Amino acid sequence: MRNLVDFIKKDRRYGYLTGMILTALNVWMWCSAPAKLGFLGTDSILLYLLAAVCGVFAVMALIAGAVKLTHWRSYSETVMRKPAMRNPGRYLYLLVLAAFAVTVTDRIVLGFVSLAKDSVAAESNPQGFLASMIYMFWKGRSMFGLGVWTTVRIALLGTAVAFVLAMLLVTLRILKPVRQDNDLARFCKKLGSGFSKIYITVIRGTPMMVQALIIYYAGFGLLKNSAMTITEINHIWSAFMAGLITVSLNSTAYLAEVLRGGIEAIDVGQTEAARSLGMTNWQAMRKVVIPQAVKNSIPAIGNEFIINIKDSSVLSVIACFDLMFATTSVVGIYYRQLEVYCIAAITYLILTYLSSLLMKAIAKKMDTPARGIPSSN
Amino acid sequence: MEPILKIEKLEKSFGSLKVLKGIDLEVYPGEVVCIIGASGSGKSTLLRCINLLEEADSGHVWFEGRDLMDLSTNLNKLRERIGMVFQSFNLFANKNALDNCTMAPMSVKRLSRQRAGELAVKHLTDVGLREFIHADSRRLSGGQKQRVAIARALCMEPDMMLFDEPTSALDPEIVGEVLDVMKRLAGEGMTMVVVTHEMAFAKEVSDRVVFMDDGVILEQGSPAEVFGHPKEPRTKEFLSRYLEDK
Repeated sequence: MRNLVDFIKKDRRYGYLTGMILTALNVWMWCSAPAKLGFLGTDSILLYLLAAVCGVFAVMALIAGAVKLTHWRSYSETVMRKPAMRNPGRYLYLLVLAAFAVTVTDRIVLGFVSLAKDSVAAESNPQGFLASMIYMFWKGRSMFGLGVWTTVRIALLGTAVAFVLAMLLVTLRILKPVRQDNDLARFCKKLGSGFSKIYITVIRGTPMMVQALIIYYAGFGLLKNSAMTITEINHIWSAFMAGLITVSLNSTAYLAEVLRGGIEAIDVGQTEAARSLGMTNWQAMRKVVIPQAVKNSIPAIGNEFIINIKDSSVLSVIACFDLMFATTSVVGIYYRQLEVYCIAAITYLILTYLSSLLMKAIAKKMDTPARGIPSSN
Repeated sequence: MEPILKIEKLEKSFGSLKVLKGIDLEVYPGEVVCIIGASGSGKSTLLRCINLLEEADSGHVWFEGRDLMDLSTNLNKLRERIGMVFQSFNLFANKNALDNCTMAPMSVKRLSRQRAGELAVKHLTDVGLREFIHADSRRLSGGQKQRVAIARALCMEPDMMLFDEPTSALDPEIVGEVLDVMKRLAGEGMTMVVVTHEMAFAKEVSDRVVFMDDGVILEQGSPAEVFGHPKEPRTKEFLSRYLEDK
């Protein structure tokens, strides 16, 4: 309420200019075809009322403009800046703003609703771009729904599994031989660290699309060698499984690097303090370093989740029914590429934007800094 | 009396830089030894070699009769009994003051949470931080942090305490609150090895002052001897420069 009063009372420096732009937009919208569900028809009294308000405002704004041009330097001393002229100008501006809001509601919002209603009820694919988009989105809603559900599941589960695996991988990576170790322990530590280095290099150095294809067909190859029949294989080895494993293994490599960076960023004094108190290297890691490192890595882990939402789109090559595969399926039915890909883009944008809001909220709660939607790996 | 700590021919180099060039030192139970010397003379390295945060290249460090340089020695067991206080405090950043103090007793000595908590409250009270036990360690002032660090080390009930320039990172105004805690500790008979630039503290509290220069112990003796009648010209030079500065 207070905000509203402040808003009305506010002195607007460029009020006349803004008001004129709004008036022009109003006129432009009135000239467009009225919406089917709209209330501002060409014969409506409200329309004439709004037009009258805008007209009066326009006259006043033009006078103000003329005064401004003639009294460029001393405008603030002219009659236009006296309360008698200033206040009506201010209230007229507010009325123009209200007229704009009414017009937008009628022409744009109700226009969209009418269009959506018509498109949904249409018997064949409408010609208009937006109408066709709505029509195909509605007809393919179960496919898009399944696609979104699969994409979210793969991104969520994949990131979770990847976090656990990355934790193991980074443990292998940071183990350093110490002086008490015998030759076997030294060898195992070297082996572990070497393995994790090779793993990270290979995964980060190959495209996820290729990894998905290899994992999908390798899974089939392995199961074929076993005694199972084709039906049994299909029962346990699906494109979804292959996709989930691909995203998990891929994300593991990136998250391992994130966690390693997080661990290396922790001051070495933290470990030294823990060791000086008699804690073992492992205890120091587990109780002091890793909790801090993971906490600092939360924004980066959130980014990895958002990246997985976007990058899981390549899984459509193995017919994993994610949002991208749903999209191409709908394209296959209607042969209207541009419209359907725009639906996919908007859906992905909504998913990533919502996720980034969620991540920001989590990061804020955990007292760690967060960024916007990240770029791809 | 047997020394609690005996260092023999200790040598350490970082790459081609020789930092410790054969150190021999004995510390007896209940003794307070202050190590003074210019920056870069190897004082901190010596201290870090005593509980093997740095591994010396050669030589021996016996603590309570066990050689720390022997590969079969369980270092973690020995470190439990050697407390260490760092110049940069190194409080566990993810914990409050109480948890900083209880973590090691609980995970190393397997004390119950309650027992460790009682111990921590006792030591935090002794260093004057009774009302800060639940304070986030990152929100404490430098002097408070260092006192929590001392309490944390004491919670392990060590037989010896190492102090690595405990007041060098503090404002001159709050150095006193940390030194007071250390004085009280010395008065209670704790064996202490203190690397410090606080000459007044060394003069007042220590039983023995060790002057290190360029990786060797140049001179050692009672504070009266070393500060009053230094034998070596290098010691004289260092002390006079120090006293001028003050």
